[in-house]
Amino acid sequence: MKKVTIDPITRLEGHGKIEIFLNDEGDVANAYLQIPELRGFEKFCEGRPVEEMPRIVPRICGV
Amino acid sequence: MKTARRIPLLKKMLAQLGIEEGRVRLDWVSASEADRFASIVNEMTEQVKKLGPFRRNGGGKNG
Amino acid sequence: MAKPKVALYWAAACGGCDVAVLDTNEKILDIANIADIVFWPIALDFKYHHVEAMEDKSIDLCLFNGAIRSSEQEKIAKLLRNKSKVMVAFGACACFGGIPALGNLTNRAEIFQRVYIEAPSNANADGTVPQTSTKVTEGELELPEFFDTVSTLAQVVDVEYFVPGCPPPVDIILKVVNAFATDQLPPVGSVIASDKTLCDECDRVKEQKKITKLYRPHEIIPDPKKCLLEQGVICCGPATRGGCGLRCIKANMPCRGCFGPPPKVADQGAALVSVIASIYQGNTEEEIARMVEEVVDPAGTFYRFALADSMLKRKRMPPTEGRL
Repeated sequence: MKKVTIDPITRLEGHGKIEIFLNDEGDVANAYLQIPELRGFEKFCEGRPVEEMPRIVPRICGV
Repeated sequence: MKTARRIPLLKKMLAQLGIEEGRVRLDWVSASEADRFASIVNEMTEQVKKLGPFRRNGGGKNG
Repeated sequence: MAKPKVALYWAAACGGCDVAVLDTNEKILDIANIADIVFWPIALDFKYHHVEAMEDKSIDLCLFNGAIRSSEQEKIAKLLRNKSKVMVAFGACACFGGIPALGNLTNRAEIFQRVYIEAPSNANADGTVPQTSTKVTEGELELPEFFDTVSTLAQVVDVEYFVPGCPPPVDIILKVVNAFATDQLPPVGSVIASDKTLCDECDRVKEQKKITKLYRPHEIIPDPKKCLLEQGVICCGPATRGGCGLRCIKANMPCRGCFGPPPKVADQGAALVSVIASIYQGNTEEEIARMVEEVVDPAGTFYRFALADSMLKRKRMPPTEGRL
């Protein structure tokens, strides 16, 4: 199947790519949004003192 | 005396970085205590050998 | 004459550095007047294939923010490096690893386990985790490889300039843009900030650096005129590069170290161990043990923004087995 890739998606915060599969008629058979990023805040915040939370988690999103 | 405070704090930090307690040792030996120096070095060498090399994962993008 | 071409990109980032560029407010129009921005995902619609089609070295200036922790981030760093004359590590993440580099205290296996399996809000009974390649009915989908270790930009490609800060202050951003526009960039390899420490630049009253207790934020309201370290609050000022305008200090909060180590300091965390151990008064075993206990999280506190840039770079632990 023909695949149209939009990479990266733009004008928002974060990373994403869209894969669009077209069937033989050129219609959309399916489309997938993928998020190709992860930093792991959920894990590396563990073990940090509570006062670090307001210093660390704003860096999840700077917008 | 700064060393006496630095080393325990450093050891706590190194433990968080996966470096075992037994790999760092602080001792006070004078220039005239040759035998003592030799025995400390030998002890330490044995200890570190028992701990073995660092487990793989020493930097670089994927260990 | 054609306008110079500028690109901005974000790797393992939060968007704050891009917002900082936008915080130049109306001066952004000056930037747009002097240069053509040819790639900037937060603001413009250019795609990777546009960059791939550019000639090598056709981008005059690339401001790259974010740390490197996936194969895509590494690939785009290398791509932009090929296409750019000047590469700038923009912001604490690109310069030193930043907050994402705290991920070097763990690895992919642990992160995936927490994020995709354990986290209480998950609905993932199948235990699905990201794969680099996934077959779907219509074909195949790809995701980048998630590395165990976070790297700085300079550990992956050559970098000409470093702009520290989380985020870099607006005045430093404008300084960089002006220097570029007037062809007055400093020597290659420069960190575009101060060469002094934050402590040197701090205008609080400093008397004697001798303390017998370290206080956590809920235990003290610091006097806004006196040195924070002297009041027993852990401040990274002595081992942090200056040039930020004391924005945290002015809010009566201690420096967190986001400008990275000062010149001549190879390892910010080790330097901070020395700072605290030097000023803490106490020689008995109990006093020393008390000091060690009062620093609740030395690795996270002293390497808050610069773990990827440190001598050890990451925690020694077994690597995650196998590829995804």
